[in-house]
Amino acid sequence: MALDYHKCAEEIYSHLGGKENIISAAHCATRLRLVIADNSKIDAKALEEVEGVKGMFNSNGQLQLIIGTGTVNKVYDEFLAITGLTAASKEEVKAAAAAKQPLPKRMLKSLGDVFVPILPAIVASGLLMGVVEALGKAIPNFAETDWYAFLDMISNTAFAYLPVLVAISAARVFGGNLFLGAVVGLAMIHSNLINAWAVSGMDAAEIPRWHLLFFNVKTVGYQGHVIPVVIAVWFMCMVEKWLHKHVPEVIDLFVTPITTVFITTFLTFTIIGPIFSTAESYILTFAQWLITVGFGVGSLLMGGLYPVTVVMGLHHMYNVIEAGMLAGDGGINTWMPIATAANFAQFGACLAVGIKTKNAKTRSVAIPSALSAALGITEPAIFGVNLRYMKPFVCGIIGGAIGAMVSAWMHIGASAYGVTGIPGYLTINDPLKYTIILLISGGVAFILTTIVYKEEEKDAGASKKEETADLPKPENVVISCSAGEIVAPVVGKVVAQADIPDETFAAGVLGEGVGIEPEYGVVYAPYDGVISSVAESKHAIGITGPNDMELLIHVGVDTVSMNGDGFNCLVSEDEEVKKGQKLMEFDKAKIAAAGHPDVVVVLLTNSDDYEDVKLG
Amino acid sequence: MKEFNYTINDPNGIHARPAGVLVKEVKGFESAITVWKGDASCDMKKLMKLMGMGIKQGDTITIKVEGPDEDAAAEAVKKAFEENF
Repeated sequence: MALDYHKCAEEIYSHLGGKENIISAAHCATRLRLVIADNSKIDAKALEEVEGVKGMFNSNGQLQLIIGTGTVNKVYDEFLAITGLTAASKEEVKAAAAAKQPLPKRMLKSLGDVFVPILPAIVASGLLMGVVEALGKAIPNFAETDWYAFLDMISNTAFAYLPVLVAISAARVFGGNLFLGAVVGLAMIHSNLINAWAVSGMDAAEIPRWHLLFFNVKTVGYQGHVIPVVIAVWFMCMVEKWLHKHVPEVIDLFVTPITTVFITTFLTFTIIGPIFSTAESYILTFAQWLITVGFGVGSLLMGGLYPVTVVMGLHHMYNVIEAGMLAGDGGINTWMPIATAANFAQFGACLAVGIKTKNAKTRSVAIPSALSAALGITEPAIFGVNLRYMKPFVCGIIGGAIGAMVSAWMHIGASAYGVTGIPGYLTINDPLKYTIILLISGGVAFILTTIVYKEEEKDAGASKKEETADLPKPENVVISCSAGEIVAPVVGKVVAQADIPDETFAAGVLGEGVGIEPEYGVVYAPYDGVISSVAESKHAIGITGPNDMELLIHVGVDTVSMNGDGFNCLVSEDEEVKKGQKLMEFDKAKIAAAGHPDVVVVLLTNSDDYEDVKLG
Repeated sequence: MKEFNYTINDPNGIHARPAGVLVKEVKGFESAITVWKGDASCDMKKLMKLMGMGIKQGDTITIKVEGPDEDAAAEAVKKAFEENF
């Protein structure tokens, strides 16, 4: 009997805890996918009992009801009609599910996602820049040479144009056009604007302004800024996506980019810019007052606050403080030891991550970033490592605060400004005390980080790959038929086909086979054969064997949505493989983190062609 | 011969499981059914080949059906695409 779609939808709805509890709904080939506000309000038991619902589970923050091919779309239509919800794409449902993570966590993740791809550029530049600047200070003659000029330019390119790198990467993360992102980034540091670093030496009245509508915009660039650029590009991507949806296709290519760039840059300069420059001058006034607070308490706070202002991009004006200190009679720059303590503590924290991590990739980023931070260039360490894991950043703040307080007690200072960290020895008035500050700030941060930084499972997981060579290989035959025997491609407990947690696989639509709950993340060739296909998202392999047996090895359920993250396919299409050869490595922890079952589905897709197929 | 175009809406494209659903739909027909993406083509009855095409969201593919039951087959294929992709 055909299913009563309306009744089915109505019953599902009645068990979901009211309309307010349903954030969005979508469907895929077999399932109704719902994002629920409060899972405790739904009646899970009753839902499973509804006629037409073949199963349900929670995954990725979605409640998924298995309804079936050809039926789910009709139930879905009824469901929309009953609830008055509008159709959501699967993407939107996923986004809504992601939105259930707390906001600060999501923002940090986005910032990390933006920064990680550009790390190679800024880590290299940071190191080179630190060395070149130090040499320039140490050997005054060197600073006069053409080599110095050349090296100085090359090494600071990535930093001078950092907003462009950030903008492009952010456009990719937020799903906008990379080139429009680049334009927004470039506009923010256009050569017609005054360099943000130069502003600290100018009177406010000297800065040219634009009068746009009722806005009064300072023509200052965003050199060295990160957060405003990320915000601007995030906004740009929203605008661009909205326009793509609403502008008729014929004029889309013409209207959308120009409108996107105009709206974004206009709002950036009129709203985001002033917010940050106002905040910057407040910070400056505050910082100037703060360091006068006695007993080192002010310095303590400033040392802790310093890296936060670097993250916010509000640190451009500090040169004013340093210049002011030096301008007085016999003045010494007591700001520099504070900045050094803050920076060197980030070095300590980053170094601790680099040493403690078991993940080769994290280490390869953390060690050079730490070195760069020791030379006073902290961006790679802060954005690339410490802030991503948060705890090292906080440990760095504590180390910096303590180091800054000690520096105030010891009354040391510098005779110039512009360098911190190791190169600071060149300008400091008391190298011995300076060493103590470096040891305290870096040491405290290092020790604290070593104690509190724990590798998340998925980070450590990547390093397991190195050990896979020693793992046992599977030997049990899981499928046999008139064409031959198929050995299990992974080590693990065999489960019956009907128990595979996916309706399509379980029903044998793709052929007969079994599921295997993998012990280790390695897939081996079950027979001598040829790789007939590798899924785009690396989670499934097809392999043709003796007597034309076509075997599909599908790792996990729904893992296509991971887009290859966590899967390392070692073979390519048409490649000949030998029985027992390693075909793929996968990360069980990542699959679990993504909320999918990791059962490996092994199906003889042309089982109809053979007789006497035996499973298990 | 019957021929029609279809643009894939499903964000995951034609990957293993839905490819299986498609293959199942067409296996019963006698007609030759081929899927074209640009210059590449494959027999729609062969799961591995269909998966190997790597058809993604936004791709427009052409389906060609030829044989004694082409009308019914084309209808079924169209319906399968509309319901699943």
